[in-house]
Amino acid sequence: MVKLRVRQQESFLRGGIFVEAHKAQSTQEPCTFTDTPKELIFPIHFSGGGPGKILIKIGQAVAQGTPIIECKSGILHAASRAGHITSIEPRRVVHNSQALSPCIVLKTDGSNRQENNLTPISLPLDISEIKERARAAGILGLGGAGFPSHKKWEEKVHTLIINGAECEPYLTADDTVMQIDTHSMIQGACVLASALNVKTIVIGIEDNKPAALHQIKKTILDSQADHSFEIVVIETKYPSGGERQLVWLTLGVELPSGLRPVDLGILVHNPGTLAALARALDGKPTTDRIITITGEYIGRPRNVIAPIGTPIRHLLTSAEAKFDCITDITVGGPMMGFNSTALDAGITKMSNCLLANSIKKYSIDPCIRCGYCAVACPVQLQPQQLYLALSNDNLERAQHEGLDDCIECAACNNVCPSHIPLAEWFRLGRFQNREATRNKQVAASARIRFEARTMRLDRLAQEDASKRAARREQTTDALVKARKLREKNTP
Amino acid sequence: MQITEPMTTTKNMMGLVVLSLVPGAITATWVFGAGVLLNLVMAIITAWTTEGLCLAMRGRSIAPRLRDHSALLTACLLALSLPQAAPWWLTMFATVSAVGLGKHLYGGLGQNPLNPAMLGYAIMLVSAPVAMTTLWVDPLNPPLLADAILAFLGSSSDAHTGATALGLYRNEFAGMTASEIATYPLFERSKLGLIAGAEWTALAYLLGGLFLIHQKIISWHIPVGFLGALILISSFFAIDPDTSTPVSVHLFAGAAVFSAFFILTDPVSGATSSKGRIWFAIGVGILTYSIRTYGQYPDAIAFSVLLMNFAAPMIDHYTRPRILGRNSAIKGAGGKSWPGA
Repeated sequence: MVKLRVRQQESFLRGGIFVEAHKAQSTQEPCTFTDTPKELIFPIHFSGGGPGKILIKIGQAVAQGTPIIECKSGILHAASRAGHITSIEPRRVVHNSQALSPCIVLKTDGSNRQENNLTPISLPLDISEIKERARAAGILGLGGAGFPSHKKWEEKVHTLIINGAECEPYLTADDTVMQIDTHSMIQGACVLASALNVKTIVIGIEDNKPAALHQIKKTILDSQADHSFEIVVIETKYPSGGERQLVWLTLGVELPSGLRPVDLGILVHNPGTLAALARALDGKPTTDRIITITGEYIGRPRNVIAPIGTPIRHLLTSAEAKFDCITDITVGGPMMGFNSTALDAGITKMSNCLLANSIKKYSIDPCIRCGYCAVACPVQLQPQQLYLALSNDNLERAQHEGLDDCIECAACNNVCPSHIPLAEWFRLGRFQNREATRNKQVAASARIRFEARTMRLDRLAQEDASKRAARREQTTDALVKARKLREKNTP
Repeated sequence: MQITEPMTTTKNMMGLVVLSLVPGAITATWVFGAGVLLNLVMAIITAWTTEGLCLAMRGRSIAPRLRDHSALLTACLLALSLPQAAPWWLTMFATVSAVGLGKHLYGGLGQNPLNPAMLGYAIMLVSAPVAMTTLWVDPLNPPLLADAILAFLGSSSDAHTGATALGLYRNEFAGMTASEIATYPLFERSKLGLIAGAEWTALAYLLGGLFLIHQKIISWHIPVGFLGALILISSFFAIDPDTSTPVSVHLFAGAAVFSAFFILTDPVSGATSSKGRIWFAIGVGILTYSIRTYGQYPDAIAFSVLLMNFAAPMIDHYTRPRILGRNSAIKGAGGKSWPGA
């Protein structure tokens, strides 16, 4: 018997900001499929994982669902449409750096060929089966960070949170998933919950998505699931959808610094990820995702279901973008996304939004320590002090001020009267910090290696010396004996 | 990236503070005569000139910094703190010190460790003590325009100046009882039963300050901390009305209300967290009371603010809020020390 409880949030966000949501623009038109682009582009590097293993050859024909890349975490990425591989060459990718990176280029042929290497699995499932399937079907966090989902299922968990907050302005991709793909989402959540022995499935959703809320309620009540659900309606305030923030808002649990929700037995997933999981169990690898195309330069802002690897330009054209106004495009929401000029790059599984807005240029004034950023910070940092430390190139000091606890939500940017790009400073600082730590580790291991080598060489030299001494002694003994013998023999 | 125009800009913040000084400035002109306006004009012209010159010497672009109203604000704050019958050179040197030594010597806007206006005030108090203590206009006998201009040009006449309430308590009232003091014209002719003249300016500044809190330009922590500390400590010592200065004089004479909302709230030189701001303000309150009562100067805001400015970094170290997810707040200094520290 399904149990459902709907309630308002009981804990409240510290800090945070109210920003204009701009969500209505992209929800006026229904979500549709895009037409298949001529070319699909798949970068072989994945965030943090290094280059993946290429599983195909140039010229090889592939079907929709044929694995083409195996990345370091073991996840197989599939070709999202049928066609053949034309080249593996450096292309511009959707990434902050705007750099060239090797990509697999697939020329589509418009056919409907499907790879059927994954068979539908029937219930009930063991977690190792689900893990294997998620890996083979290329499931990773579709919320934006792209964390390999199956790596989250190692620990014992008691609660599954579906992160339907979607607090970023302009984004409606998760909202769309929760409206049109509700059944798969709930199914994915239920399968996972049964396999992991999860007691409650909590859905955190902001109060500006009544349609999605209604749809979820209906689907849960209609389902045959034997789980207890809890829907927590939270106030629309950025960044309520941050993982740590959502855990606090829904469960009232404050995550200790440095721990992930899984460490406390709480699993947080994006709605799209769970829907993709349900499809993967049906035998369909992740080849498409819902992506929001919006902004003032978009003629028909809406959500589309697009094959992974679709060039950004293709999506913008289909949404009737005004190309002569667009210089660069924001990928992944205005707060935490980044700007990219690479319009020919293919979208990845993590791209949830393409935003084409006029980029406002503000002149940056000096920090006057007004403290607005400290009020806006959802982690209660003192961004003005952090900024002071980082602008003085003082990483240690910044760490002391809590650099590691920054969630890079950029709420501080949006209240700064001096228009200082605080979040960019913190992102850079955190990156430098990680580099410094890594360098330290490398140096430490090099030192250990060096010391071991010195010790080994010393030991060898000693052994050598003792052997030589022993041999010399032997020779001396023999000589002495020989001489004695000679003396004896010569009268 | 920045997607929304922030609630306000640095320029607007400064502009709003200047704007909220208007009721106080008008009231002060009404009570103390045109000297206030002359001071303001002199200070503003000097501040802009000094700011421009300093920026040129430092090789920085001049226009954007002149447009951000920070020099204007320093000039207004300083002019309203100076004696109303101050000669032109006093205002000029005070402003040059405030903008040049107080701000640009340390690297301009946002870098000054001390409150520039109070630094200018303190420098003049040390270098021209007579002018800074004797040229306060007697609110019962404010000068007309011609007299005010004469005073401004430097021909000092004491026809229109007199001791301030705090000065009277400091120098004249020893051995007098509270009822005797109450017959003094400055108190007897007050409309609100406080101090003639000064009470109106204090109320006008209060109005401006409340407007700033309403506009979220300043936080309530500083005025509440400062005035609270001053009221508490002075009412504790005011048990015997014959030997101590009453609470109302501490509050309404001198620059207490003005400073609570406009001087202590300088974000650059003060403490930065909310808790830190309360401690900062309490510190200023205690120091103000101590210097007024036991020190050599009748009013003490400038020195108290400067002393607490020195303490602000330490206050910031010990009042960091608890970062969410941590068991306790990180207290104390840490990391490697500041370059040059």
